[in-house]
Amino acid sequence: MSWKKAPHHMKAGSSKRQPVYFAGEYLAPDAERRTFLSDTSVIFNVVQNLVKTARSKEIVLFDNGETLGALRKLAQDYVNFCKECWIFAAETTSKELLQFHEDHYRQLHTCLSLFTVLYVPEPGMEGAPVGEELLDWLNTHFIEPSTDEGKHLATLDRPWEDDTFWPYLTRATLRGLSKACAFFLETLSQHRSTYLQGISRALIPLLTNHPRLNQFSAERDFAIASRRWRDRIKTLRFELDRVPEDVRDDGFQNWWEQLSDVVGILEGRSEVVKRVCVELGGDWKEVCVAWSMFVDPRLRRQDLPDVVVEILDEVPPDPTNQEDVIHASLFLGKPVQALRDAAHMDIWLSAHLADMMEALELIEPTPTDDSDLSLRNYYVIQFAEYLHSDLNCWRHTVDYLCTCGEIGKKMADEILIRVPLRLQSPKDSDAATQESARIRAGDLAGMLKEVNASCFDHGREEVRRMVCKIAAQTFLREKEYGLALSYCASAEDWPGLGRIVDRVLEEYITQGPSNFARSVANVAPSLHALQAQSQGRNGVFIYRLIFAVRFAEYHQRKSNKEYLSAAGDIVVMLKEEVAPRSWWAVVLTDTTDLLRNNEIMPFTTAEAVLLLHKLEEILSRSSHGAGKDYLSILIQCSKNGGEKLALQKLQDVRLALAKYYARCAVMNVGGKTTVSGMLNM
Amino acid sequence: MIQTGLIQNAHNDLVTDAAYDFYGLRLVTCSLDQRIKVWQLDESTGSWGVEDDWKAHDAAVTKVSWAHPEFGTILASSSFDRTVKIWEQTSYAEIENGASSSASTSRWTERAVLVDAKFSVRAVEFAPQHFGLKLATISSDNHLRIYECLEQPSLATWQLAEEVDVLSLPSTSPASNSISHTVTLGTPTQTTTTLEGTSVSLAAQALQQQQQQNQAPSRPGLGSREADGGWCISWCKDKYWGEVLAAGCGIDGKVKIIQLSPSRRPATLLALNTAPLRPSTDAAPKTPAPATESEIAPFAITSVSWAPSCGRSYHLIATGSRDGKVRIWRVKPPALSDEADFDGDVDGEGAESKWTGGVVGEFDDHKSSVGRVEWNVTGTVLSSAGNDGRIRLWKATAGNVWRPAGHIGVEQADEQPPDVDMEENAVAD
Repeated sequence: MSWKKAPHHMKAGSSKRQPVYFAGEYLAPDAERRTFLSDTSVIFNVVQNLVKTARSKEIVLFDNGETLGALRKLAQDYVNFCKECWIFAAETTSKELLQFHEDHYRQLHTCLSLFTVLYVPEPGMEGAPVGEELLDWLNTHFIEPSTDEGKHLATLDRPWEDDTFWPYLTRATLRGLSKACAFFLETLSQHRSTYLQGISRALIPLLTNHPRLNQFSAERDFAIASRRWRDRIKTLRFELDRVPEDVRDDGFQNWWEQLSDVVGILEGRSEVVKRVCVELGGDWKEVCVAWSMFVDPRLRRQDLPDVVVEILDEVPPDPTNQEDVIHASLFLGKPVQALRDAAHMDIWLSAHLADMMEALELIEPTPTDDSDLSLRNYYVIQFAEYLHSDLNCWRHTVDYLCTCGEIGKKMADEILIRVPLRLQSPKDSDAATQESARIRAGDLAGMLKEVNASCFDHGREEVRRMVCKIAAQTFLREKEYGLALSYCASAEDWPGLGRIVDRVLEEYITQGPSNFARSVANVAPSLHALQAQSQGRNGVFIYRLIFAVRFAEYHQRKSNKEYLSAAGDIVVMLKEEVAPRSWWAVVLTDTTDLLRNNEIMPFTTAEAVLLLHKLEEILSRSSHGAGKDYLSILIQCSKNGGEKLALQKLQDVRLALAKYYARCAVMNVGGKTTVSGMLNM
Repeated sequence: MIQTGLIQNAHNDLVTDAAYDFYGLRLVTCSLDQRIKVWQLDESTGSWGVEDDWKAHDAAVTKVSWAHPEFGTILASSSFDRTVKIWEQTSYAEIENGASSSASTSRWTERAVLVDAKFSVRAVEFAPQHFGLKLATISSDNHLRIYECLEQPSLATWQLAEEVDVLSLPSTSPASNSISHTVTLGTPTQTTTTLEGTSVSLAAQALQQQQQQNQAPSRPGLGSREADGGWCISWCKDKYWGEVLAAGCGIDGKVKIIQLSPSRRPATLLALNTAPLRPSTDAAPKTPAPATESEIAPFAITSVSWAPSCGRSYHLIATGSRDGKVRIWRVKPPALSDEADFDGDVDGEGAESKWTGGVVGEFDDHKSSVGRVEWNVTGTVLSSAGNDGRIRLWKATAGNVWRPAGHIGVEQADEQPPDVDMEENAVAD
């Protein structure tokens, strides 16, 4: 459900052992449902693009044939998906395990396709009579009369003697099933009443030639044909009325009344249509559709609600049937009500309907109450929260939320930022996934990559940075300094970068030079990238990092006995002022062993002078009370031995330097520069 | 609503608080049994296993709060032992120093103990991460305390940045506070007292009205005050308005929206008052008339939760109180001036420059004291826990009307009746 599971401790009495219960608003979707959700989300995304493009071109979506056609196609995609799920759920062997049963998807199917029929017409058909399409919808979803009944009647020699004969024939007429009607009217040629034989013979061509909108290219032609056809029905009625009263009953039943009903329907007598529909067990939908076929064959979409209101007055919908209630709201042209009803059935339905309704300007695009949310956004957010009942659906949750304006995007931020990154190295090595290994190798992989991508897609830069910051913090705790640095840089969190460098340098203080050098080894590669990225900005932090890397390199080289290059590192650090002042003393102390090395003299005389300079600066400033600035790190390194101990260490360095300098003089290393160096001292 | 999980025998006594970590993969619980437990979700099975379990305090633990992961894996806990403790998970860091695992079995290390409270600390909550590593605490001495961590990696030093008596907190614009800042005045507020002893005197005053002081002769009224009061806090998650939080204190039935700023003393922006909304109150007396029943004193607010605003133009704050009511307040910050500078000119141009608020939902479905209210991360669903043993959800309809959205309860046929006031009364003993 929406916010993980509710954190709820239900306080049960004062007994000793207290349980903790977990509860959720929604059950997380199962595999089938997830497939449905993720497949339909693809359509949803296309709808978003369509609407976005239309808006950017300032096209009113439903006024434009191209965009309306595109939306109709997408609406039909939804319809087809629901149908597929319905079929899947009906055919699956483990039905009882499904979270949503076949009937649920059937209901989604009927509601969505009705919505499409009524509100997303084929371009050019917006103003055309709607009866034909409605009949088609009714016949697709609510099949009557049943095929079995027809089959049964077809086996009989005298089907009119069966109780189901006339109801079947009437229903088939209502449903425009002219072939079935013709077939059974044909059988009446065997009926002993010659009147009935004659009338049914006359009725057959009338039924089969009932003008249907889809047979005409222009509505005018359809109207003319309808009028002519109706005139012919009138003639038939005339014939029917001339049948003498005493032959209207065949001894089995009054065939005339039954036939009169059929003709009454064709005549479009509203009272007959209503009565017959109810007698046959049909509901208000049956009446409405028959109305639009026979009573008012030119009934248009926009006029439908007026008719439906009247019909519903006499034949109300079933309030206990959610599906029926939604159908009624859609027929009545009440989209807001339909959404409310749909939300009761499935929050998926209300969200996707609302989305299309807003595109079609059926509902207000701006908030209609004080919630700051439009109706569409309200339902889409509700749906997104349902999606969030499964943490693995976070991508869809975010995608949907990001279509809901600034508020939706802020909500998406809250979801994005809480996607578990799973950076911790798994406890047992067997469980180590490849992804975790790749992240550790410096790749942007796994969840981190996906969250980054999602942030990028939706332009949530602030969240991306925060996620990187958290990742950096995780790596820092694991002493993966290189990774911590690159994520910090990606977050553009320069103070954070400074903190990491501090932690790296702390390694030296607490762990000693060799551990320090090892820790820093993986930092060097990210340094180059950082330097390129920062382009001179935030130099303070970068400089500190450069120092850490250099200093580590120095120790690495020294331990590899590459004394000359090690000495070069020292000189560069001091000369280019890479080393912070507080570290000078430490750097100098660490050169003692190089200075005392009898086999090699890694520093030139000039370099030795540089070292002497720095040493003198430390000593003289410290004696003037600036010891804190110059000695603090050395003091920490000597396990808080105090300033005295630090100064003593520096005196050792001084002695070593003096000796080294003497050796330089004797061996004449470095030449004339020594003199000027001496003079400056 | 459906039950999705269960931890049996989680604690040896009543559980006082439970909080998910940032990702919802871990849960921390605390209890009267003085222990904190951290549970981890096994995602493959959906079951929760205990990860850590330690005795955290010398008295009942009242609340736990996770810090933002940006700062590491950090918890703060508050307790009846008058302390707040800061804990850090140290599974990675402790390999150094040689003082590794053998030192303690717990992987959570106590980093700091904050001991400023004079009575039990009832709530602790870390501030939103953009304000740095800070936390707010409230204790039954009616003091709100704000601490700031000064040394982040070590977490050892916490500076007491603010310490205010919530009951005597002045309003930003004294001239108009009683009219526009307090939604309604149900009880007298005392604004002129010295800092020391304010809480006690106010509490005593309140208790005198209830004529309950005879219950604890040695420390007048304090025993029942601890039992009947409610102390709670919740931060405003927004960065825009600066450091703002909601605090409920004692038995006055009010939640104050308090602004903290480095340059000024904390000030009340708005008070949400539950008292006049009680059906039993006919007309709230303007003066503390001698009353014989407890009806005049409003019910204490036990829990407050400030919803993440997620870019809305208003804030939602939920309160739960001992009168069994869950209330949802809609609080509107001042309208933005061109400069978006609201602290410069507070009492200038009428209602638009002030925080305003009112109840948009009030529900008594729990029919017994409400222990906790909590929002989801997007501020769209409110959950509440009551002494009726039920968790209830509340959501806004499409017309923005708040409505019940389901509930779930535990059958306790073998136990005492569910409506016995358990949590805090038990604690007060």
